[in-house]
Amino acid sequence: MLEEIKEKVKAEFGLESKGYDTNILLIECERERLRDLVKFLKNNGFSYPHTVSVVDYTPKGGGFQVNYILENLNEKKFVMVRVNLSSEDLTVPTVSDIFPPLQPHEREAWEMFGVEFIGNPRLEVMLLPDWAEGLFPLRKSYDFEKHRKPSKEKK
Amino acid sequence: MGNSISLAGYTFVVEESKEISGEDLGLLQEKLLQLNWGVQHPASGPMRLKLWVDGDEVVKVDPDIGYVLRLLEKLVEYRTWINAVVNVERACFMDDFGTMAGYSIAAEKIAGVEVPKKADYVRTILCEGGRIVSHLIGLGSFVGVMGVHTPMQWALIAREKFLDAFEVYSGQRIATASIIPGGVRYEPTGKFIEKMISAVDFLEKEFIPRYAEVFIDNPTLKLRSQGIGVVPKEKAVELGLAGPALRASGVASDVRKDYPYAAYGELDFKVVTKEEGDAYARYLVLWEELIESAKIIRQAIEGLPEGEWRTKFPIKVPPGEAYVNVEWARGCFGFHLISDGGTGPYRLKMRAPSFANVWALPEIMKNVKLADVPVIFASLYMCHGDIDR
Repeated sequence: MLEEIKEKVKAEFGLESKGYDTNILLIECERERLRDLVKFLKNNGFSYPHTVSVVDYTPKGGGFQVNYILENLNEKKFVMVRVNLSSEDLTVPTVSDIFPPLQPHEREAWEMFGVEFIGNPRLEVMLLPDWAEGLFPLRKSYDFEKHRKPSKEKK
Repeated sequence: MGNSISLAGYTFVVEESKEISGEDLGLLQEKLLQLNWGVQHPASGPMRLKLWVDGDEVVKVDPDIGYVLRLLEKLVEYRTWINAVVNVERACFMDDFGTMAGYSIAAEKIAGVEVPKKADYVRTILCEGGRIVSHLIGLGSFVGVMGVHTPMQWALIAREKFLDAFEVYSGQRIATASIIPGGVRYEPTGKFIEKMISAVDFLEKEFIPRYAEVFIDNPTLKLRSQGIGVVPKEKAVELGLAGPALRASGVASDVRKDYPYAAYGELDFKVVTKEEGDAYARYLVLWEELIESAKIIRQAIEGLPEGEWRTKFPIKVPPGEAYVNVEWARGCFGFHLISDGGTGPYRLKMRAPSFANVWALPEIMKNVKLADVPVIFASLYMCHGDIDR
């Protein structure tokens, strides 16, 4: 089944994909084509979204990586769509209108990493306290010591 | 408002503050009220639902979460491969075995370590024990939100027996840190197996018949929960519901069956599904899974092989990544684990089922009665620890 999707993606988008695990197919994609690809996958049975997982590769000399993980509940297969971003331009189009459950996941990725999902209707602080907005704590550059909660001045 | 409503933790906030007098007084009733359901509500736990109500009807719901954020995904990056289970298991204290098993399987996949068969079986026993412990609280608190607190006490009695078994096994009752990459931490002794069997015996012979008699086919409970918060099959997938809530809508999605891990591939059990998709169906799914789990534990104890219970796990793991799902008590828990060749995880993304369920609430709770809010909330069986992580 994954072989079939692999060929279809190759024919439709010209994108190479490879096996990630026994049940998972990894498709690397440009952000311009992300929405079309996700729509295409949704129409091909990958209708259950799992999550948006962002990885910060800046200490390794890379940028940020955004992974969309989708599951096909009937065939029991996964697909992982990967978008690489450079750390200068952290924007990616939203898929929250195609997969509404991914909207809070994108929101979480935004508050933790600062990746801006263009078109997401609600990029507000969700899990973090209000004073921590804009600190992006899951980035590798985040320093626990520097960003303590502002305490009352000792006299 | 010194009446019983405010004592129960509700606060009423009129959307716009405006002086109202004379003729306008009648219009006040037509205004939407914003209601804070939680943080102090007995059923809510450490989270809040902002409800906009029109009279008795809920118009809009907005969950306000983040009260128990510990940033576990960041803390894991400062640990070694084996120490990280301490953070991973704290995603939720009720079923800590499932999360530890998922993380360990992901780490083993990257490192290319194969665990002994005995470790797989012990993991299965522990995971199912964790599931029973968690489901018992889920059942008890579901009836508890309707104001009957007896079933919770009964469930806690049965739960204690399993906690005793965990204590014999690992020395801890709740945060056991017992499943690690490379196997399980401790030898499953005869005493542990004995305790586990006696706990399952108590569950099957004492708890299940007594509880089933009173709280399963209960007419009042049915009246209160049947037809409430109905989620049809297509809608459940569209909303991204997870775990028992998804299965109660008729979607047979169970990681234990679909992508067998540990020893589940060799054991005989069935995936519980219901077609109705209402609060009562979700309650019944928990109940039947409890019975299935007890059977799985018996099978796993019978089939427990001889041999080692752990292998050596390397200190440095080669670069790589894995995405592993496990069927945790509350649904499929995903671990996206990445190694850069160091002594600990480079990044761990946890996909929590309760996080998916809590964001389905605004859709499910549209146009329900205010009194049904706690029922729907409890039936979705969420844990605040893994909403916030």
